[in-house]
Amino acid sequence: MYDGGVYRSEELFEIIEDVGGVVLQKNRSSQMLTVIMSIPEEDKEAVSRVCVDIGGVVKDVPLAGTEIAVVGPTLGRHHMPHPICDIAEELRRYGSITVVMGMARGRGKATAQISRTEREIVDEYDAAIFVMGNFKSCVEAKADLVRDIHVPVVLVTGPQPEGIDDCCEAIVSGVGRKASRMRTPPERAKLEEIADTLEAVLRDKKRSLEEDPLFVHPSEVKQILENYEPIDMCLRPAPMVLHLDGLRIKIPYSEHREYLENVMVYGRRLGEVADISPSKIDDSSVIVRIKTRSQVRDEDLKAGR
Amino acid sequence: MEIEVTGDEQYGSDVYSKLFEEIMNDLNKAVLIDRVKLVLRPSVPLFVFSIALRAEPGSKSIADVSTVRMESTGVHVTITQERYAPDILAALWARYGRSNVYQQTRFDIDVTGAKESDMAEMIVSSGEEDRREIMGAIWRTMPEGIKNRRTLVDGNVITVIATEEILLPEMVQVGREVHESMGGAAVV
Repeated sequence: MYDGGVYRSEELFEIIEDVGGVVLQKNRSSQMLTVIMSIPEEDKEAVSRVCVDIGGVVKDVPLAGTEIAVVGPTLGRHHMPHPICDIAEELRRYGSITVVMGMARGRGKATAQISRTEREIVDEYDAAIFVMGNFKSCVEAKADLVRDIHVPVVLVTGPQPEGIDDCCEAIVSGVGRKASRMRTPPERAKLEEIADTLEAVLRDKKRSLEEDPLFVHPSEVKQILENYEPIDMCLRPAPMVLHLDGLRIKIPYSEHREYLENVMVYGRRLGEVADISPSKIDDSSVIVRIKTRSQVRDEDLKAGR
Repeated sequence: MEIEVTGDEQYGSDVYSKLFEEIMNDLNKAVLIDRVKLVLRPSVPLFVFSIALRAEPGSKSIADVSTVRMESTGVHVTITQERYAPDILAALWARYGRSNVYQQTRFDIDVTGAKESDMAEMIVSSGEEDRREIMGAIWRTMPEGIKNRRTLVDGNVITVIATEEILLPEMVQVGREVHESMGGAAVV
């Protein structure tokens, strides 16, 4: 990740292109610029040199190209403010795009619920972090909230719960409800532990994707779509967000479905090599899930292509 | 502020003791509280938060929270307790009109046509208001899912009994016992 000024940034984009790399995320705020890029390992030194030359700093961001949901039982002040925001901020430092979410009826031990729509929304992300409270019996009773989520889940709790290891990929204890920011060294170390745990969980997901690769890498689809005017003109921050297996495009599905389905990627229509659907949040975003090569081949065989 | 916590779970009890203290400090209510007793039984679930205030909240007049001096054209008020400044200003505006109330600095106000004796009668904060603020602070410290509450108020002791679904008589009894141990009346 490049973190620096806008001045001479075109030199950075040139070298990224020269070495065959891609820009995953570009975020400009006034005269400051953050660029998350993917480049070949052997060219890292050359790109770093350019970044330093133009007055910026380079950081390794292991969660680049992912979108993570940080979920609390509710968005009320009892659950929401400090630990959830601190965790989301830490994940952004690791290069991820984060979304903070609260459930409509997630409070209480016996009455906590998650709706099907909420589950489907969480499933749109690469992974989810569920943040729960300080009482062991409550955390254990609320394990059902994360049970039917299909994306990897990391559970962050106060005490270490027992008997719920099967409902999530990892558990990090020692956080819980807090009335102030996580500023002390042990708390910062805990935030790093959460981000490292998530990174390890996503590494497994990446490994399984490598075994059966996607038909096209999401960043290539992003490059193709970048010049599509509604995306180019979109004022929402990060109009295209990369996922490990696709991308979220922040333009209305109903208006742009036809274009997206017919855009050509390696001689194929995008609609043939990816599932394109409206986001479950609302119609203003599109979720593109790229099919794996074996899936595309299988569908081709069935269709007699 | 002395906090005593009894609970089913050691981790939760330790954290809630710290949370209670931090939230009360944030809301500037810690100075008003003498003793606190928290009963935390998440397995039931039953939560009893009982506090004994240093003094029973009473109503405050302008003379109680500021220095009042007679001058040739009216009264000069010097606010000594900053938290009441907005209330003092609002009360003076309501009684004398904005044109007669001139705020020289943050703490100094000139009131044209006023009498020193009137200031002793003008109430800027009732005890009820203080009590309500303290109750709000207690609710903020309680877990969010604990919606069914019964509040016992007696003199300077306030006890909140809370559970998630039906508040059973035995739960209220536990709350009453805690209330009594804090110095509250047996029947409230």
